Amino acid sequence: MEIKFVTTTCPYCGSGCSFNLVVKDGKIIDTQPCQRGPVNEGKLCPKGVFGFEFINSPDRLTTPLVRKNGELVPASWDEALAVIAENFAKYQPDEFAVISSARCCNEDNYAMQKFARIVLKTPNIDHCARLCHAPTVAGLAKVFGSGASTNSFDDLAIADLVFIIGSNNFEAHPLAARRIMQAKEKGAHIIVCDPRRTPTAKQAELHIQHRPGTDIQLLNCLMKNIIENDWIDHDFVENRTLGYEDLKACVTQDKYSIENTAKVCGVPEESIKQALEWLHECQHKTAFVHCLGITQHTVGVDNVRSIAFVQTLLGNIGKPGCGVNALRGQNNVQGSCDMGALPNVYAGYFSVMNPDLAKKVADYWGVESIPQGKLGLHIPEMLDTLYEHPDQVKCMYLMGENPVISDPNSKMVEQAMENCEFLVVQDIFETETSRYADVVLPGSCYAEEDGTQTNAERRVQRFRKAQDAPGESKLDWEIMKMIAEKMGYGQYFQWETSEDVFNEMRGITPQYAGITYAKLEGDGIQWPCPTEDHPGTAILHINEFAGMPEGKAALEAVEHREPAEVVDEEYPIWLTTGATIWHWPSGSMTRRCEQLDKDAPTAWLEINVKDAEKYGVKDGETVVLYSRRGEVEVAARVIPDIKEGVFFMPFHFTEARANLVTNTAYDPVSRTPEFKVCAVNIRKKEA
Amino acid sequence: MSAKGDMFYAWTTDAGIKGECGGAVTAILKNLLASGTVDMVLTVKKGVDVYDPVPAFITDPAELDKCAGSLHCGTLLLPKLIKKYLGGAKEIKVAVTCKGCDAKAMYELAKRNQINMDNVVMIGLNCGGSIPPMQARRMIKEKYGVNPDSVFKEEIDKGQFIIEYTDENGAHQTKGIKIDELEEEGLGRRKNCQRCETKIPRQCDLACGNWGVFGEKAGKATFVEVCSEKGAAVFDAAVNAGVIQTAAPEAKGLEIRAKIEKTMVNMGKKGQEKQFAELGEGQERLEKIMRATSKCIKCYSCIEACPICYCVECSTKKPHLVRPGIVPPDFMFQMIRFAHIADSCVNCGQCTELCPMDIPNSLFMHAQQVELEKMFGHKPGYDMELPVLAFAEEMDERARLNATGSDMIYENVFGQEE
Repeated sequence: MEIKFVTTTCPYCGSGCSFNLVVKDGKIIDTQPCQRGPVNEGKLCPKGVFGFEFINSPDRLTTPLVRKNGELVPASWDEALAVIAENFAKYQPDEFAVISSARCCNEDNYAMQKFARIVLKTPNIDHCARLCHAPTVAGLAKVFGSGASTNSFDDLAIADLVFIIGSNNFEAHPLAARRIMQAKEKGAHIIVCDPRRTPTAKQAELHIQHRPGTDIQLLNCLMKNIIENDWIDHDFVENRTLGYEDLKACVTQDKYSIENTAKVCGVPEESIKQALEWLHECQHKTAFVHCLGITQHTVGVDNVRSIAFVQTLLGNIGKPGCGVNALRGQNNVQGSCDMGALPNVYAGYFSVMNPDLAKKVADYWGVESIPQGKLGLHIPEMLDTLYEHPDQVKCMYLMGENPVISDPNSKMVEQAMENCEFLVVQDIFETETSRYADVVLPGSCYAEEDGTQTNAERRVQRFRKAQDAPGESKLDWEIMKMIAEKMGYGQYFQWETSEDVFNEMRGITPQYAGITYAKLEGDGIQWPCPTEDHPGTAILHINEFAGMPEGKAALEAVEHREPAEVVDEEYPIWLTTGATIWHWPSGSMTRRCEQLDKDAPTAWLEINVKDAEKYGVKDGETVVLYSRRGEVEVAARVIPDIKEGVFFMPFHFTEARANLVTNTAYDPVSRTPEFKVCAVNIRKKEA
Repeated sequence: MSAKGDMFYAWTTDAGIKGECGGAVTAILKNLLASGTVDMVLTVKKGVDVYDPVPAFITDPAELDKCAGSLHCGTLLLPKLIKKYLGGAKEIKVAVTCKGCDAKAMYELAKRNQINMDNVVMIGLNCGGSIPPMQARRMIKEKYGVNPDSVFKEEIDKGQFIIEYTDENGAHQTKGIKIDELEEEGLGRRKNCQRCETKIPRQCDLACGNWGVFGEKAGKATFVEVCSEKGAAVFDAAVNAGVIQTAAPEAKGLEIRAKIEKTMVNMGKKGQEKQFAELGEGQERLEKIMRATSKCIKCYSCIEACPICYCVECSTKKPHLVRPGIVPPDFMFQMIRFAHIADSCVNCGQCTELCPMDIPNSLFMHAQQVELEKMFGHKPGYDMELPVLAFAEEMDERARLNATGSDMIYENVFGQEE
């Protein structure tokens, strides 16, 4: 009998917790804590404790599948690769759409964007950051010059005020929530702004239960009063920002008064006054925390910028215990962006619109040229085009993504997949999306590969291989290498190990240049880490905003706008969607874990007690939830914790898909769909 | 020939073992494995640095050399790993290194038929308490002003937590700070260690450490107390195999060892007094517990790690007792744990150590255990006497037994009784 502990990092949220996988005779049987883990110190959430169980699920993909006579049937790698090579050769670069995955390691994402840009020569590469924190990346980049979280989890523990808006971190990022609770223990004020009285809100000293889609109204109101009370950090604003007058003119308008804001947001005036008092009292020791409640709006980018503006006015940037702290949704969404699995940038955020940088990347890869000078398609555009103009996008290669569940308006997505002429899905399970595939390729999960991932505080940490992937499954970058070889591009993919991929990547990615696998032992490294003797960077923008004109933050006028869809007589209720602590987006991993499934076997609809009374709906009763796009049957959970006039539904469940009713309207800059607001109604289920 | 109650200075004859003080523990473990007395040794080895003890399941005696030396950040509890991964030592013979909490946990699991102690050799290690790894790193950085990565040795001696490190100029430095001072500031040993009274684990077959090694052997020998007949046999086998040499302990050494133990136990008693007092009494205490546990995110880590939890179907997972999926869980979740565990809590601290919301579960449980001990006289973890609540007659269990045709209330390591 051989038993060993393999220390690795968690594949779920962006906290980046460590744990040990217990491996008995070559097979993973359990997880055990790793007290030396820098983020979580041995502590785990339910997904950390039980979330390993999917790894050896009997329905893992073990061979490639190729569609023959309408059926997906097992095939050899040779056969699958031949079919892919033959079909990939048929299409023009613009006819491809490639979706990478924030669930996969940096190495896989680097390989995927390289594959898209060299082999398929297409600019159309994107990944699921689009669905979550693309507005954070775009918004913070516009204000500060870098799209990443400015501070570290440790800063949350030393703040005097933690201002949480649109983040239910108790469920979505529990080990970041722990840091906030440590601050509370030391006497810090905690504010939570959320339409739901979430477990996070229940721990707050002040809960501002604002109506979905009114974040900018609230934030502008805070700024108006900060300015009018003369609480701004004059030194900071004068020396480190541009555009202050423009912003001031906007936010000081009467409509952002406390009285009007209280009305628009549906909150008591006293709450806003209290928040303001604490923002003043705790200046230079205030950390903002946000998540998808801020980003998944048609005004997502501006929501994020408004947070950045508040912190800038107060001078709460570049200091310990401060900052704009985006809790990145997926484990490696930070890293996937860093790797350039995006339609607008190469690795290291080199813009595709900059010919010098494009040449630099092409030279580094040893190719004549790479797609440049035009933005590729992002995921909503890929799906829209497949749906409306299947003659323009014909072929899709997606890795570790399940758009049929994860993207809004599922019915439309299903048709888009149906329309796709040649679809390759690389995953560890058959999914709702792989049903539409022409070829399905068996990849590996986090426990079967060496690699790196980057958490929400820019901490690069290791995945370590604990067991072999089942059957004939391969590492994801290995698969891309095999396809590339088959198509005659093998010379560009001469990697033998994940570390080889990493080392190639850091040669062209300035933020990662000084990081090596050896240096990642122990605490990992927070980027930027420009040289091998550099210890990494816990807090950004201490002295300047690198990459911004004059090195200064860009303030601007941003007005509150209503969501794309607002309630009316026919659809009088706001619907907001989100995650639970028990599951991971489309549920393909966590729903295969026994205890997680027992605690949350299916979806529910949170309805305020008063609304339930109005509709005559009892707790546990199945209702039909409907919007302009579709309907779904779901059991009501009647509680006082949700705001009257607002429903909440978790989005993980294929048998009760929240995304059948959600809106595809998206932010014009980041193209992130407005998952957090749409107008709905319910009716009783007919007997 | 040795016998229960004998005490020795012992040291290894194996030059390959770089033990902390004589290397006798490693030599004895190696001999157990090499002689085939046990199939496996379960102990801890150093992971990425001195702050990172990782459980090691060792079958090759040579591997044991790497495990020599003590790690004061070893906050792990090993017996539950025997239950979970070694089939409760039903078939495999295993030697385990045990701190006081490990030893007590082993006894409680054995009482519940979860571990077959006949197949377990317990090598006890004196323990003055341990510090969680990341807390130790923070403390060394902030309180000691030393780069934690430059530390190569740490120890608790004469009431101080002492580190040895290499400074910027490459020179060897030593720095110690009084444990009392550290703990006054919320640093130092785990809170449960501050309440602990089991410093020399005599429940084990051998109890080993450096306390009381005096005179010319100071720093070069391990103090070994033989605590059972099995321990005597293990010790004699190592002597006969020539892997350890022994000497009689100095009279002064015995005195020092007894004094250290007494001081440490008194510190534990004082720790209890202080912490229990802060917890208040009656309704005040209950309210404190309810407020603290309202942060619970129902990760079940306390249950997974608890050496008293062993039910096939945990009551906290029964929908009619605790509603599934609700965070924080109904208070019944905590009540079930108190009812099922408080009589036998061994204060191992795992439920606090692993709680993602830093709920002082272990304090709550231990505070109740001492009250129950006063009422019923049951002292968990010291002998094989059954706990107060040994007889469980739960309707659910009965129904399950009827449904399965089994007469086992709980799975046990010996299988179905004939």
